[in-house]
This record gives sequence, structure tokens and C-alpha cells, in this order.
Amino acid sequence: MALYFFTPFIAIILTILGGGIIFYILGFNPIEALKFYFITPISNLYGLSELLLKATPLCLIAIGLSFCFKSNNWNIGAEGQLTFGAIVGGGVALLFYNQEGFYILPLVIIAGAIGGMIFALIPAILKTYFNTNEILVSLMLVYVSKLLLDYLVVGPWSNPEGFNFPETRQFSDSSRMPLLFEGLRIHAGIFLALAAVMLSWFVLYKTYLGFQIKVSGLSLKTAKYAGFKGKTMILVVFMISGACAGLAGVGEITGPIGQLHRMISPDYGFTAIIVAFLGRLNPFGIIFASLVVALTYLGAETAQIFLQIPKYTGQVFQGMILFFLLASDYLLFFKVKILNLKKNELRY
Amino acid sequence: MATDLRISNISKIYPGCIANDNVSLQFKSGKIYALLGENGAGKSTLVKILSGVVSPDNGEVFLNEKNLKLSSPLDAKKNKIGMVFQHFNLFETLSVFENLSIDATEDNESLRVRVNEILKKYNFSIDLDVPVLNLSAGQKQKVEIIRCLLRSPKVLIMDEPTSVLTEQETEELFISLKKFCDEGILIIYITHKLKEVLSLCDEVAVMRKGKVVSVSQTQNERVETLANKMVGQKLAKIKKKINISKNKDEIFKVKHLNFYSDDPFETNLVNLNFSVKKGECLGIAGISGNGQNELFQILSGEIITPDTSIIFRNKEIAKLNPKQRREYLMAFSPEDRISQAAVPELKIYENVALNNFKSSNFFEKGLVNEKKIKEHSKKILSDFSVNTDNVELKSQFLSGGNLQKLILGRELITAPELLICYNPTWGLDVGAINYIHETLIKINDQEKSTILISTDTEELLKLSDRIAVIYKGKLSKIMPSEEVTPEKLGLLMGGGSID
Repeated sequence: MALYFFTPFIAIILTILGGGIIFYILGFNPIEALKFYFITPISNLYGLSELLLKATPLCLIAIGLSFCFKSNNWNIGAEGQLTFGAIVGGGVALLFYNQEGFYILPLVIIAGAIGGMIFALIPAILKTYFNTNEILVSLMLVYVSKLLLDYLVVGPWSNPEGFNFPETRQFSDSSRMPLLFEGLRIHAGIFLALAAVMLSWFVLYKTYLGFQIKVSGLSLKTAKYAGFKGKTMILVVFMISGACAGLAGVGEITGPIGQLHRMISPDYGFTAIIVAFLGRLNPFGIIFASLVVALTYLGAETAQIFLQIPKYTGQVFQGMILFFLLASDYLLFFKVKILNLKKNELRY
Repeated sequence: MATDLRISNISKIYPGCIANDNVSLQFKSGKIYALLGENGAGKSTLVKILSGVVSPDNGEVFLNEKNLKLSSPLDAKKNKIGMVFQHFNLFETLSVFENLSIDATEDNESLRVRVNEILKKYNFSIDLDVPVLNLSAGQKQKVEIIRCLLRSPKVLIMDEPTSVLTEQETEELFISLKKFCDEGILIIYITHKLKEVLSLCDEVAVMRKGKVVSVSQTQNERVETLANKMVGQKLAKIKKKINISKNKDEIFKVKHLNFYSDDPFETNLVNLNFSVKKGECLGIAGISGNGQNELFQILSGEIITPDTSIIFRNKEIAKLNPKQRREYLMAFSPEDRISQAAVPELKIYENVALNNFKSSNFFEKGLVNEKKIKEHSKKILSDFSVNTDNVELKSQFLSGGNLQKLILGRELITAPELLICYNPTWGLDVGAINYIHETLIKINDQEKSTILISTDTEELLKLSDRIAVIYKGKLSKIMPSEEVTPEKLGLLMGGGSID
């Protein structure tokens, strides 16, 4: 049991070692490169603010996903729910582009959450009533929402004074997340993420819904035997998950971005899957995991600047974390044994 | 050639439990040996050591005075020790022959010749080219035995082989085993069924708490003496109660129960009709896989079938889910303790909360009422003598018997009018079985009814007031249990008819 919460650390250490080896092969001094990757980005206030900025959507989405994953529902389409949430939230923000008012931001945020929720309901309804596979449906819907966003920003919603750039107008200040500190990009969205952590802890561990989620995740047969309403639960966890992803999307466009364009998310929705598992689907574990994974985004940007290597190394690191996490989970319960098999001997 | 297997001073210690404590035994070919003991007596560990799955902390195994190093199942096979496990290791969708060829070392033609020789020699009738899923349990077991015989074993270990067989299949198995024995294969027969020991085996070693407590000739033993050695205390014999429920009201009535499934692993049920009276125990006998799973799930509400009518206490409940049926005071104890009736990863009190019904107040306004659940759990633990009082304990640390007591306690503490249980004593030791049988009789005495779906004929005869047999999804006529004999049951369970 202790090991269960310890393996994420093993995975992180192995990832750093693996990264060092890759840097060495690429011809860099591994210690120095790793320092550029993991230390330099957060060695000043601005860096720390960027870390929290990137951890915010990751944490929010991963919290939502934990509801799905804990109950054996494999929602892989958080990126799509994020995008659709951003579209709906952004649409509301654009309605008020030339207005001011305290009520605008809450409206935008709620619209974003509802957008994500609706988009997550599609795979959930198809799963419960038509027996489709939610992995495929939710994944494919990611591309639907991205193409829809693409269409909107070059077509109907594109900025009339924008010289045909694929982007919308800037949102008014009333639909922007308040900044926490002058000169830093960290914004009030982080409180949404923290609230989600608290709320999810309460729901998962203290409510009947949480109990049903826990039982269904451990044994669907038992859930059925206990008479839990399986279909309702699937719909609810997808809605929670979609709402969180939608909030993350709205946080991005009303926070650092301030408008809608094609690239509103560097695949936060997919990376959050890694965050959820690295955090052991535990609300507080997810905080920690989102910080670690956010660092790989930042490190990749620093490495691009200082080492002239593409920022996609960030994905390499994220991939390695997941790989080592799965591997150490798997190997924990197995013994490696090298067999010396002769011909004609039993094969195992 | 004579075979001599000697186990010398074997010890195996698991954290918190001595599984084998200095066990020494000697076996010689030409005899059938029984290894008898309750669950947790150390039989399985000893067998696992002999088949190379577990290595002992101490002690040695000698085969014909040769010291064996058994560090993997492969070593056991090399040393001609064959093993037939209680649960079959067969690929259901592959054919019999494909299953046999998986770990064969020869080409298919010569393998087929050898398999056919074995089939002929022992009078096994098995079609080699049908998928294993079409075989009966007895035939599957024969496939497992053939797999062992192909390696011309010196020692053949059978682990609880009759738990899934009909009376007839059991007899056939015994005939084969005696034949193998005559041919010089040493047979070690592991069981906790006392009668089988007496009818089949020559010598019996009884284990209790990791130690060998007695080795004797079976001709000097009786069921009672063996039972006492095994349990270590005088068993209070449960008397079969007298049918007190004649002319009572029917509280549960099933009409036109039909179930069709596209899944080849499920059994279709054809027009089942039966009723249960107040205070009565209706037994449903049958070999596993004849539709009991499906029947249980339909009765509990996990599967809802159209056009079926289920009347319980004058209300139609056929469309209700399990939770709603519980509100009407039904309770359910499924066969699968570990992955259905309870979740091993959950704590005891969380497993208790699975029986959630309106008046329990386990969950108020959507919130968990942990205090209430824990109080309730404590009461169950003490009322049903589960050997712990720690409701925070994860259920995986309970033994099978204690887990079953917990499950029954959870279901019964709400004083249900009808309890439906499916193989409630499956795989339990004699002490736990007795406790559960007493409990089931007690609820009948309190005018509550039970439906007992079981594959254990002895249990059914002991507890039921009326018995029906399910075979291939059809129910036989319902008979008063006084008119039923084990032979009759065995015949019906094997698809025969008694008219």
C-alpha cells in the first residue's frame, strides 16, 4: 500500500535519469541540460507563476478525469471537452466584447462549464443507451471540437478588424480572469482548481455518489448487485469530468489568452490523463502531479531557448513519466526471471 | 516401477501464519492417499510446494530417494509430478486438442495418436475437436487429466476434484483413479469431503493448522472420526428439521421466467415457475453452469426479464432493481463472495454499506453516515461471530468463512422476509459450514423463507423443505425433501429423469 503511493516518485526519478541519458546521446552535458530543464524555469518569481499557470488547467482536468477513471469510465476526450467549453464560454465572452460588468465573468465561466458538460454527455449517452465504447467516441469528438473551433475562428467569429488572422476579437476586461499579481500571468483560475480539489475530495470520500463511484470502479458486478443506478452514475461522472475540462478551457481563454484562436491548449486534455494517474486519482496527489507535469512544459520551453532543441521534448518527458509509472506499477507485483530454455523444452 | 514420494520436515511460514509446520509424510505407489483438512489447514500450501508453485522455507521432497529441487511448476513436470487443480486451466474457446497441444513437445500427429490411446485405454468419451466450452465440468476435468497422463506421471495430485461433478461423474472419476493407481501411479487426493475419503482412498493424512495430526488406514475410520480429527472438536450434528411450513401462505411466486442470451457462456432459462411459502426453504439443486447464475441474478433484480411475473408479499416486483427489492425485505447472498457479494479492497464497514436500504439511513441526503454504518457493522461482527471487531479492516484479510458470515450478517440483520442464497458454503471449512447451516435453519424457524441455490446435495438435503433440480435452464418438478435421495438428485442433476 505504501509502495502504491511511492511508485510515482520512482517513476519521476527514472524519468529524470532517462532524460539525462537522452540529453547525453544528443551531445549535451546531461547535468547541465537537466538543470536547464527542471531548475532554471522555476528559479525566479515569473517562472513560479508560469508553473502554477500551467498546473491550473492540468489539475482541474485531472480532478474531473479522476471521477471517470475511478468508476471505470475511460474518458479520453478531455481535450475536446476543454475546447468545446472554451467555445461556449468564449462565445458568451464575445457577446459582451464591448460591455463591462461584474456579472460577465461568472456567466462566461458557467457557460464554459456547461459547454464541457454537454460535450462529455455525448460519449456518456452513447455508452449508456447504445453500448458504444467511450474511449473511441470521446477521443474522436476531440477532433470534432477542434475543427469546429477552427471553423469559428476563421469564419463567423473571426475578428472583423483582424486582417483575416484566424482569431476572434479580444475579450473585454470584464470577461478576463483577475490577475493575482501585477506583472505575472497567474490568475484567479487557480482558485477554481483548488476549489475543485476540495470539492472532489468531499464528493469522493464523503457522499453516496463517491461511494458508488468507488464500488463501481472496484467491481462492476458488486455495483450491479447492490442495485446502484449504473447509467445515472456514468452520466454524472462524465458531466463532472466535462465540466472540469470546460472550466479549464475557459480559464485559459479568459486568463492568459484573452480571445479564441486555434491553439488554445497545448494538449492539456491529454496530458491531464498522465497527471490523473501520476496523482493516483487522489485529489491531493493530483495537485502534486500537476506541478510536476507542468514543469515538463516549462522545461521544454527553456530547453528550446537555451539548448536549441524542439519544445516537443516536453511530450517525450510526459511520455516517459507515464511509461515508467506503468512499468513500475506492473513490475512491483512481478519477479523478473531469466530462463535458459533449450530446444524442445516446455515453453512458458 | 514402484514410486516412493517422501516429504521431510517441510515448513512454510507466511507473515502472520504458519502454513506448514514441520510436515513429514510418506507415499508409496499402489495406494490412493487422501490429504484431508479444513480450509487454511495447509493442504494447499503443501500441494503448491509439491507442484513447484511455492518453495518451502525448510525441508525436502524426495522422489525415489532423489532429492527434488522444485523451484517452478516446470520442475514438477520434469520430475513427473502431475497436478489437476480445482479450477480448470483450459482455454474455453479452443478445441480439446488445441488445449492439449499447447504445451506438448511433440508434433500434432503423434500427439493425436497418443491422446487417442489414452481415450481408449480409460474409456473416456471426449470429442477432441469441439471447443472446451461445450464440455461438461466432468469432461473438462478429463481433459486436464489427459494432459497429465500425456507426460506419463509418477505422481498425480487431484485438488478437490469433485466439487463440480455430478454423482455419476464422481463415480466415473473414482473408477479412473483406481485404474491409474493399479498402473502404479501414486495418487494424492485432496478434499474436505469425508465420504469420498472413505469410499476412494486407502490411507488418509489429516492436517490441521499446518500440522499433520493423523495418518491412518481409511478402513479404520468412520465419517465421524475423520470429522473430529479434521475439526479438532466434537461436531454438534445439525438435525434436519421437520417440515413445519405445510399449508402456509405463499409469499414469493415466480411465473413464466424466461431468459434468452446471445452469450454462449450464459444459459437460457425456459419457463420456470415456482413459489415459496412462509418459513420454507426451497432448494434448487444442479451442477454449476446449468442456469443458476442467471436464475440468481433474475431473482435479485440484476437482470430484468420481460414478461416474467415475480410476486413478493402480494406485490409485483419483476421490474424492480436489487436495491428496490431490498426495500421490500428481500436479501441476497451471491455465490461469488470475492468479486460480487463483497469487494476485498473495501473496508468491512464499506462492504456493510452495500446493503443500503431506505430505513438503514446509511446515506442521508446523499452524504455517508459513517457513524451509523460503523455501529451497524459492529453489531453484525458480534452477532454473527466474525473473528474481528475492527470495522476498518479491509475485507481481503478475512478468511472465506468469516467473509461469508459478514455477508450473511449484512443481509440478515435487516430481518428480511426472504433470503436468496447461492452456494453459501462454497469452499468453506466444516466449522463455518455448520455455523451457516445453523443460521439458515434459524431464519426458517423464525418464519422467514429462503431460496437455497446450491451445488452441494448434502447441504440441500439437510436444509430444504422442498427441492427442485435445474438442468440446462429447465426446472424439474418440485419434490418434498423427504422423498428425495442423493441418488435421485444426482440422476436429475445429470440430466436423467426419475419417472
